[in-house]
Formats: sequence, C-alpha cells, structure tokens
Amino acid sequence: MAESNDLARIITGCKGGDAKCFSQIIDMYASRCYGYFYRLTGNNDISDEMLSELFVKLVEKIGSYNGGSFESWLFKIASNIFHDHLRGKQRRKKLLEVQITEFESGTIEPKQSDGELTDKLQIQLGRMDEDTRELIMLRFYSQLSFKEIAQMRSEPIGTTLAKTHRALRKLRQFMEG
Amino acid sequence: MEDRNQENLRELFGKFFNAEQAENCVDDIQKAEQIFRRHPAPEPDDMLIANIKAEIAMRLQAARTHRFRRIIYEVVGAAAAILIAAAVSLQLFVEKDTPRPGEVVYASLIPTAIWESDDITADDEDLAVFTAQIEQIEDEVQTLQSSEDTGNGENTITELEMELIEINSDFWKG
Repeated sequence: MAESNDLARIITGCKGGDAKCFSQIIDMYASRCYGYFYRLTGNNDISDEMLSELFVKLVEKIGSYNGGSFESWLFKIASNIFHDHLRGKQRRKKLLEVQITEFESGTIEPKQSDGELTDKLQIQLGRMDEDTRELIMLRFYSQLSFKEIAQMRSEPIGTTLAKTHRALRKLRQFMEG
Repeated sequence: MEDRNQENLRELFGKFFNAEQAENCVDDIQKAEQIFRRHPAPEPDDMLIANIKAEIAMRLQAARTHRFRRIIYEVVGAAAAILIAAAVSLQLFVEKDTPRPGEVVYASLIPTAIWESDDITADDEDLAVFTAQIEQIEDEVQTLQSSEDTGNGENTITELEMELIEINSDFWKG
C-alpha cells in the first residue's frame, strides 16, 4: 500500500513536470523495460533507443494517465514502441531471422558458459513468433497479472492463459532440448 | 519480479482446466519463469540512463518555457482583442453622434432649451409672454386687414407679419 502511495505521489509529481519524479520513475522501471525490449529485439542498441523513446513518450503522455495499473499503462506504450519498430524496421527483423536460420542449420552452437546462456535464451525466443514472444515478455517483465495482460491485449483471459502456458512450455522444451 | 499482484494461479487455471491440468499448467509456467531468472537480460547502461534523465530534464525545461510563452501570448492577445473591441465600439458611438457630410439629421420639434429645462415655472412664463405677444400682433393684423387703419396699411401688415414670424421663430429656438 505504501509503495502504491509512493508511486501515486511520484506520478502526481511527474504530471506537475517535476524532473526528480521522472528520474525516480526511470530508476524504478528502466531495468524491467530494458529487459522487455532486449528480449524482444535481441539487440542492445535498439533496446537503448527504445528505452529512450519510452521515457520520452512517458513525459509527453503522462497527462493522459488517469489511474489504474501504471505498469499496464507503461508497458502498453512499450508494446506500441516495439510494434512501431517492427513496422518501420523490417530490415532488423530479417537480420534476426537470419540468425535463427543460422542457428537451426547448426551454424551457431549454443554455449554453456554462464555469460552466454543469455544468448541461448535469446535465440530460443527468436524461434517463436512475435506475438508469443511479446506475451512471454509481458508476463515476465511487466509484472502484470494475467487479467491485466488479457485486458491490455484485448482478449479473453482464458485465451491469454492458454497462449502463455503453451508458449512457456514450448520455450522450456527448446531450452531443454 | 514475482509479485504478479499476488494472483492465485491455481485458482485462475482451475476456472478453465480440471484440477490436474491446472496443476500442470502452473508447474509449467513456474519452471519456464525459472529459466528467465537463470538467464537475466542485460541491464541498461548507466550512461544511457543518465542521458535519458538529462534529455527529460531538458524537455521539461523547454516545455516550461513554451508554456510560459504561450501564457504571455494569450494574455497579450486577449488584451489586444479588448483594446480593438473598445476602439471599434467607441468609434461606432462617436460616428453616431457626428453627422457625416450629406447625411440627413432629424431635429427635435420641441426646442432643446425647453425640452431639457427643469425650470417649469420660467418656461411657462416665457410661453405666456410669447403667446400674449402673438395674440396682440394677430389682433393688430386683423384690425389692419379690416381697414380700420387708414394710411400706409400694406407696409404695417408686412412689418407685423415679419415680427410675428420672428417671435414664433425665437420661441421654437428657445
């Protein structure tokens, strides 16, 4: 409760144009949002750009936030940024597909050292379609409940549950396989 | 990261699956989420965060300046509109009172001095004097016209008529 009160106070400060409050929001959400972008794109530079864009948009749009789950609102913007990126930069998508093809053909060997396990997860995520990948990322990084994710995606909660379960089971199989 | 608003996954999946399936679903999800915990995504660079904060501070400053300017422009605009409206209405009223060349002006039938005078007694006295004078002259005219006057009657009538017109005119001028 105290946390939500703090968040409400910070958001009020943001609406008033307080740079310190925006700074606090960045500290609170930068890591999760960056993880979300990185897992969706697999690229540090693009994730950097998207994170910058997200917080700039947050400044522009904070006036339109009218209560409810702030995470849901923030990750909706993040999701829109990702979709804009997909639409605008098909070239990068193709690059990812090339990486996946290379992996599938055995060109890239998944390595077992700790530092490179991250890459393995990224590659396995790349084998999934964008919608499924985004659903998993929302589940893991946004900390939203299934109900909130379903609302955000404008689909019945049963559909969200079934898709997430299927996707995570598949990811587990990929990782263990 | 595991808060998820304390939702009860077993209860949630139980609404759509039987107890065994729901248990399997929850187990699958928890195991898959462990994979994410074992493979954390990289953290954003400190420099990137610092840059984002600096950019936001700059944008907020710019927005504040822009908002201040807009308020100034709005105030100046409103003041200018009021001044223009005042000037236009003033001009309209002034133009109504001052006739332009060639414009027809309608005068009052009643003399302004009497119309605007508050001294009713004095006005009545003036009226009484004027009326008496007019009546006297009319009597004289009638006398002359009935040839009671011998001598230069024509000129006398003309003089009296002129005097009558003059008095009448003086009366209406106030």
